[in-house]
Amino acid sequence: MYGLVDANNFYCSVERSFNPTLEGKPVIVLSNRDGNVVARSNEAKELGIKMGVAFFETKELRQQHDIAVFSSNYTLYGETSSRLMSLLTQFVEDVEVYSIDEAFLQVDGYESLYPTYQGLGQAIRDTVKQCLRIPVSIGFGPTKTLAKLANRLAKQHPELGGVCILDNKGAVNEALAGFPVGDLWGVGRRYASKLKKNGIETAAQLRDAPDDWVAQVMTVNGLRLVYELRGVPCRMLDVSPLPKKTICTAPGFGTVIPDLNTINDALTTHLARACEKLRRQRSLCGTVTVFLHTNRFRKTPGNGQPAKAYYNSRTVELPHPTNSTAELLTYAQESLRSIFAFGYNYQKVGIILSDLVPADYRQKGVFVEGPDERWIKLGSVVDRLNGRYGRDKLRMASQQYNPDWPMKPQYLSPCYTTRWEDILTAQ
Amino acid sequence: MIEAIDAIPLENIYRIDPSDRTPIPLYSSGVQAGFPSPAENHIERRLNLQDLCVPNIETSYFVKATGESMIGDYIFPGSILVVDSAVPVQTGSVIVAWVNGECCVKRFVRQGKQIMLESSNERYLPIYVHLQQDQFLVLGVVTYVVSKPPRYVRPR
Repeated sequence: MYGLVDANNFYCSVERSFNPTLEGKPVIVLSNRDGNVVARSNEAKELGIKMGVAFFETKELRQQHDIAVFSSNYTLYGETSSRLMSLLTQFVEDVEVYSIDEAFLQVDGYESLYPTYQGLGQAIRDTVKQCLRIPVSIGFGPTKTLAKLANRLAKQHPELGGVCILDNKGAVNEALAGFPVGDLWGVGRRYASKLKKNGIETAAQLRDAPDDWVAQVMTVNGLRLVYELRGVPCRMLDVSPLPKKTICTAPGFGTVIPDLNTINDALTTHLARACEKLRRQRSLCGTVTVFLHTNRFRKTPGNGQPAKAYYNSRTVELPHPTNSTAELLTYAQESLRSIFAFGYNYQKVGIILSDLVPADYRQKGVFVEGPDERWIKLGSVVDRLNGRYGRDKLRMASQQYNPDWPMKPQYLSPCYTTRWEDILTAQ
Repeated sequence: MIEAIDAIPLENIYRIDPSDRTPIPLYSSGVQAGFPSPAENHIERRLNLQDLCVPNIETSYFVKATGESMIGDYIFPGSILVVDSAVPVQTGSVIVAWVNGECCVKRFVRQGKQIMLESSNERYLPIYVHLQQDQFLVLGVVTYVVSKPPRYVRPR
């Protein structure tokens, strides 16, 4: 049996866990530059605030209702997440961290400690509630897909008390019969409409579909899903995830920018971040992609016509894999210059590092120089210094040196657990 | 030059978490010929205050105290409290909790259906919490108090 533990409205719940007056009030959390709503409490959902809606569009609702607004405080959420995951490892040995607020558990073999799944689920819920003050829901099922489905049911039906168990045929049948196929884990909008056209609307219908047909319509991944629905595990617990295959950083400007110099500065900043990530996971990258685009939805002020749009990207294959910021920067800047077109208001420049290989893999080319070892060493020295003295203390000269950029988030909560200046005070 | 053997009693030697990154004192004696230091085999690592005060880092929070209501429990304005949320709350525990949104540090006393939050400074009145009416949320139990010593006042 597998279990899936998932925090309810994680970001909102974390904000509440340090500020209990928010209990019962609508809470929303905004994306990186306060652009969109990325998390909503149940009360905010009831007001009709949709996921991903632009923050300014909620203005009217905010005037009518007392809505608590927070910029996303990833330091706080990340720290709470790691506490959550380590609490889970106190219950079972094998925990797969699936996302910031979700984890799969392998729950076989703990019968002597927890005779029932209900008891285990309740114990996890109580411990997390006591130690982190956030609510979690737990689904149990014979496969990961069914555990995920059970978790969803636990959230939808408050009368279950946050724990849903699908451990026998009857319970599974009942759950699948009422479950829309589009809500299944791994079924996107495209597959959902395709399945609907063929008369398949519930998870039970998909489970009973013939194998050949499923493989034809949804490829082998769809077939795996169907097997999982039948109770045959195809997705195993992934306890030590592989390092990422690509790294992408592309935060929006928060405003529009027409000139190359400012965009170049932003690109350097993004690249510096991406290279930090690259070095943290001990990888080298072989390919750099730079992309640049305007806001697709922007209207020309005055006439309401869509503003002229531009999108371009450029991919460069490096002569040898590297993780040196300075080296990658020369390629990235050259790519940017080649795709930059004058006369547009740009919304975003982004960088993607791909073809990642482990750092100890250094293939020397025949006709090209290998990477300069000194650059690679310099990178780790810079990271260590910045770790000690603060981010961007040592930076590329072309990196932005404007304290107002990137835009400071306006509604940031204190970093209660990671900064001495921000810890709670008690009377 | 070693004149007396200064043996370290076994109970004074501690082992700490190997995942910890405290620098290890390299105690290689410079005595090439002669009597080697008898302590050499016994020194393991330096002690770390964190191991003493914050054994459960995953469930602990730091909270700064303000106000003088808990002076009787050696909690002064500016003291840093180590608060462990995994420790069960019992009558008599010094806890950090929110009462109707106000974060406070008090002694927890259960009185039937209500809860009394006692101060340890007689100038402060106890707070009574009715679980049905008041919003009450416990952060955790205070397990350590970190304070600077009081400033020296010259006796008259």
